[in-house]
Formats: sequence, C-alpha cells, structure tokens
Amino acid sequence: MRKIEILGMGCAKCMELEARVKRALEELGIEAEVNKVSDVKVFPSYGVFMTPGLVIDGEVKSAGRVPSFEEIKEWLK
Amino acid sequence: MTSFVYELLMAGLIALKEYIALHVLTCLIPAFLLAGAMVTFVSRETIIYYLGAAANKVRSFALASGGSFFVAACSCTVIPVSSGLYYAGAGVGVAFIVLWVAPATNILAIVYTGTLLGSKMVITRIITALLMAFIVGFVMNYAFRKEEVRRVSFYSLKKGVNVIGKKEALLLFLLALTLLLPNYLVAKSPYSRKVLVWAIGMTITFLYALKAIDRERIRRWFDETWWFVRMIFPLLLLGVFIVGIIGKVLPSSFVQKYLGGASVFSSWFATVIGQLMYFATMTEAPFVHKMLELGMGKGPSIALLLTGPGMSLPNILAIIKVFGLKKGLVYVFLIMCLGTFAGWFAGNYIF
Repeated sequence: MRKIEILGMGCAKCMELEARVKRALEELGIEAEVNKVSDVKVFPSYGVFMTPGLVIDGEVKSAGRVPSFEEIKEWLK
Repeated sequence: MTSFVYELLMAGLIALKEYIALHVLTCLIPAFLLAGAMVTFVSRETIIYYLGAAANKVRSFALASGGSFFVAACSCTVIPVSSGLYYAGAGVGVAFIVLWVAPATNILAIVYTGTLLGSKMVITRIITALLMAFIVGFVMNYAFRKEEVRRVSFYSLKKGVNVIGKKEALLLFLLALTLLLPNYLVAKSPYSRKVLVWAIGMTITFLYALKAIDRERIRRWFDETWWFVRMIFPLLLLGVFIVGIIGKVLPSSFVQKYLGGASVFSSWFATVIGQLMYFATMTEAPFVHKMLELGMGKGPSIALLLTGPGMSLPNILAIIKVFGLKKGLVYVFLIMCLGTFAGWFAGNYIF
C-alpha cells in the first residue's frame, strides 16, 4: 500500500492539498495510507521548509504550494 | 437605538469605500499579483538554503532580513519556515529574524501602508523593522548561546536553482512599477489619471508575461495570486468594517490621552495593543489611519504598524509551543522594549 504524508500546521492550503489528494486517490481507485504530519519540528527531517508539503512513499513531491489535481494524479499513478 | 445601529453600519460601509473600493484597482490588484509572482517565480528553497548555510553572523543576519521579505507574505506561513530553519540547525538569531521581518514588512502590508499613510511612514516602518530584526538576532543569539553549541548541524538541503531567472525578475520589476507609479509618483493627480497609468502598466506587464513566460507558470502565478485574494481579502473587508465602527464609537479624548503625542507611555501602549491584538495582514494600515484621525501620535503609529501584524496573542502562543516558553518570552519582551523605543524615537526625532 502506498504511504502518503501531508505536512502542514492546518493552514487553508494544507486542507486544500489533503482534499485534492483524497479526491485523486478516489478517482484512481488506489488504496493508500494518508497521514497528516503537523509537528513542525520534524518538517526539516523531510527537507520541507515551506508548507504544505506532500510526501509520497518517503519522497518529497512538492513543498510550499498546492499542486494541481492533475499533478497529484500523475504522481500517484 | 435603531438609528445608532444604522450609524454604525454606515460608518463601517464608509470605511469600506474609503479604504478598499478606492484602492482595489490601482493598489490591491497589482499588490496581490506581485505577491503571487514572488511566491511563484522566486525560488524560496534557494533563499532558505542560503539562510541555513550562512555561517558568518552579519552575513546571515543581512540575508535573513532581506530574504524574509520574499519568503512569506503573511504571519501564517512564517512559523513553519522559521522553526524549520531552527530545527534544521540555523542559528536561533536567524530563525527569530525571519519570524519578525516576514510579517512586519511583508510586501502586501508595505504597499498598502504606503498608499494610505504616505511614503515617509512606510519608509520609517521598513527601516525600523530591519533595525529591530538585527537587534532581535543578536540578543537571541547571545541569550541562548549555550544551547547553540549543542545543536545539530544543518540537514542536507537542496541547493536548487538560482533565486530568480532574468525574465521573471523583469516581470517582477514591471509589476512593481505598475504598483508604484499610480500610487506614489502621480499620487496627487486626479483618479482618472492614476487609472490611466495603471492600465498602461498592466497592459505592458501582461503582454510581456505572455511573451516571456510559459503558460503553465503563468497559470501557477494566477493560482497563487488567487490564494492570497481568497485568504486575505475577506479578512481585510471585515477588518476595515470594524475599523469604521471603532472610529465611530471610540472617543478621540481617549485616543489623545493614551496614544497621543510621542511619550514613552503612548508608544508602549501602542506596542502592547499591537502585540496582543490580531491584525490580519494589511488591516493595520486602515486601523492606524483611523487612529491618527482620532489623535494618535505618529511615533505610536509606527510602533503599532510594526507590532500589529508582526505579533498577536495566537501567534505568541504558537511561537511558545514551537520554540519553548523561555525563547518565546524573551522574544515577546524584547519586541515590547524595541517597539516602545522605536515609537518613542520616531515620534521625537523623525516626525
């Protein structure tokens, strides 16, 4: 199963990212474990400084912006 | 009773007209576009890399003060950046400089302050914010120098690309011109001429963008701009409406007594109001404008412009949670002293 982590402190952009990821998973029919990481102290260990950050299977896909729906789908395929 | 409510509503609506409606076209639209462009085209990863890596203190402080301006456009995004730098191994001074400068002199607030309060006020705001940042950096480094030794070294950070490409830099420059020309250089001419200058600037900027920047990144730029509008504009509308009502109900004798002149007390009082009250980015400018009308001194105004967006009670609690009680309290107390001094100094020697 794929492992997805969303890094953010609950800002509007983080919530938007989470919604888009969930929608993408649904549309692609992929099962995944989605974790929200809100402890800022661990962000740098991912190499993420700008929130929201999207980490898929341990790899940072985006940071500091909300990627478009198409981008997220591409990464999940 | 009903007529009183009606008067309050009218005061709020008049404030909306005076502070928002008149500035949407020539100030707010280009300001949001510029903020969006900064987020899209300036590589913040690269700036953060340099911030974390700069070992030399003076250089890292200067970088932190200048770079923060491009890193975050409101206090909401600054805590992860600042704490990220800190926990990744940057000096505590650098982390707190970023924490202070980014909201206190962010691009949206600066532009709007200049439009409403004039260039002398905004230049004083920028310079005092930067001076305060340096002092905050030095004091934090000194106060927590023992912990610094024990901290881990910097995590592996990607160096990434250049901070900004040439084409994108020119776009930012054109946007800045579109913003500055109508609001400052032809500020005293009639509104129609301002709009004309604005329209010419906008047209040139967009034609250039279409020619020089690929569509995908232009789309991203508009996306980011729209995020700023969606997050900040509703708060700005609400804030300005409340400012109108405050202007109606707050007796000017009170303002003159506690916030008037350039005494140490009035600067201190303005600083504390700014530190505790939450001002959404930009709302501090109309608030201060209203308070000036009611009799607040110009020195205390500077103190309020700095600490208003730079700090708030929720912000203080978040800082304490992330950095610990001791660092949080030292920082809050330090900003209180510096804000008071800045207000007093500006009131007595600058204005």
